[in-house]
Amino acid sequence: MGFKDKLKEELFPTIWCPGCGIGLIMTQLSLVMDDLGLDEGNTVLVTGIGCTGRMGGYMHFDAVYTLHGRTLPVAEAIKTVRPELKVIVVSGDGDQASIGGNHLLHTIRRNPDITVLCNNNEIYGLTGGQAGPTTPQGTKTVSSPAGTTTTPVNLQGLVNTSPHAFYAKTTVYHQGALRKAIREAIAWPGFAFVDITSQCIENNGRRIGFPSANEMLMHYKREFRPAPPGSSALESHQLGIVRGTPEERAPAGVAAPSGGSPSRGEAGSGEGEE
Amino acid sequence: MARRLLQGNEAVLLGALRAGATYYAGYPISPSTEILMRASVHAADHPEFRFLQAEDEIASANAIIGASLAGAKSFTATSGPGFSLMQEAIGYAHKVGVPCVFVDVQRVGPATGMPTMPGQGDILQSRYGSSGDYTSLVFYPSSVVECYRYAVEAFNAAEESLSPVVLLTDAFIAHLNEVVDLDAIEVEVKERTLPALASGQTRLFTGVLVYADGEPATADADEYLRQYEEAKARRLTIAERYAFHEYGWNTEAETLLIAYGITRRICQPLASHFALWRPVRIWPVLERELREVAARHRNIVVVEGNDGQYAGVVERVLRRDVARVPLLGGRMSLEAVREGLARLGLLAPEAVGPAGAAR
Repeated sequence: MGFKDKLKEELFPTIWCPGCGIGLIMTQLSLVMDDLGLDEGNTVLVTGIGCTGRMGGYMHFDAVYTLHGRTLPVAEAIKTVRPELKVIVVSGDGDQASIGGNHLLHTIRRNPDITVLCNNNEIYGLTGGQAGPTTPQGTKTVSSPAGTTTTPVNLQGLVNTSPHAFYAKTTVYHQGALRKAIREAIAWPGFAFVDITSQCIENNGRRIGFPSANEMLMHYKREFRPAPPGSSALESHQLGIVRGTPEERAPAGVAAPSGGSPSRGEAGSGEGEE
Repeated sequence: MARRLLQGNEAVLLGALRAGATYYAGYPISPSTEILMRASVHAADHPEFRFLQAEDEIASANAIIGASLAGAKSFTATSGPGFSLMQEAIGYAHKVGVPCVFVDVQRVGPATGMPTMPGQGDILQSRYGSSGDYTSLVFYPSSVVECYRYAVEAFNAAEESLSPVVLLTDAFIAHLNEVVDLDAIEVEVKERTLPALASGQTRLFTGVLVYADGEPATADADEYLRQYEEAKARRLTIAERYAFHEYGWNTEAETLLIAYGITRRICQPLASHFALWRPVRIWPVLERELREVAARHRNIVVVEGNDGQYAGVVERVLRRDVARVPLLGGRMSLEAVREGLARLGLLAPEAVGPAGAAR
């Protein structure tokens, strides 16, 4: 088996624009799935509305392409009913952090054993390039001609409100770090969120001055650096993983043991491989 | 088990369990909350039954969809405002073909309205609440024992039609306590037919119109019509097996009362004066049965806890005027019905009585 067996290549070329970053995520996800032996009998994909949501249609898995913003309640329920399955959510920053923000807040609290890959392109690409919840302040978009005025959602801070959560930050340029983040997120026994900075050249990049998708990737290469070993939180241009303490899970029907709040773990090493 | 005192909301939960439900998600909202609480208690003792108190009704509705696709018979319960929040997910379940049950314990709306006076204002919402065209199956019991029975039938209809089925009740029935013997009720339980997720297929469950291979069909009217007509035909065919209704009382009377849910119970003391037709299957409308019954009576009056929602439907089906007795603002009482019928000249004023006149 190879990773291409995970893909419905007969449907290629994909619907995504030339230069889009989503394909880079799909490739790394396929590689990890192949390595881990994930297949249509043990894994379900759950995707949200937005360009990223189309990924479920291109992969050889049962996939639930949910309503806009509703990946998490669907994914959590699937995992609850079928705990033996791996449940992997793939959607964008608008889907997770804006319209799905309330579900994100509360799914983090409940800490289901699911993995979220968030294609964070900082824009509403599918609808033509409107400002989104992670658009950097001051960015001119088709819905913020004078520049956005609001503070972006702090995804790391939100995820890390749970002492048990897993948060990884990477970019689609840093393919090794991306693969490692996806692999560790899937293995994490609880809620795992991978925040993947990715380029939308057609509906954002060109408007903010990038001549090509490659220039955006080169920008990620210059801007992002691995977090130093021992970091318990990531700076805005650091790559790495911040792990909480895995939650002790009682068997169903048995009260969970009480205990103090576990402390946040440290950033792993080696996330900067390229 | 022997006869026992049971509340309408509890009966709904027991019916769901009888039908084989193993997943509940919900958000507290009166007057439906006993269903959520009883589900949580049941889950504590039965590990195979999973319970989620979600962050809101949107999450609840989407969670039962995920649970159903994963292989569980699933349901939620709410009231008007929460039912409104669930409408997008109900449309998704119709489009994708997800069997699940939505219980709507009606109170007076719109919006927060009059919590928690009884109402029947969600008749049209239960049919047309989501966007686009779809074919809904909706049942409305009028007693505690029927809450149990039609909860089972709602799950059965959901499994057979592969669609979300709505069980309407109201604050009155939900909190009504009646003596019942559930063991005396014979119900058949339909098994699952939709293969659960990760059974080896590579399906795409999506609210987008797509072809069989998953590619978008979003500009193909012919494909839309093919899928729409197929889904509609399936729902209507299955609905025929669930054509629950009641015709009786004084069938020689000139005037036919149409009343459903708790309103039928409220009208019961008028049984010697009027004929009664009661649809239990609210949607799809029992058009043939309604036409046959209506042809036997000079006057038709729809008594309902809203401002003519079902009356308008009856007029459309019969193509003749029907009179209305709307019971609004939670004032669902025999006095209010008598006043309304007296206003229409169909009941002598002295029959209204001082209690009615005083209000």
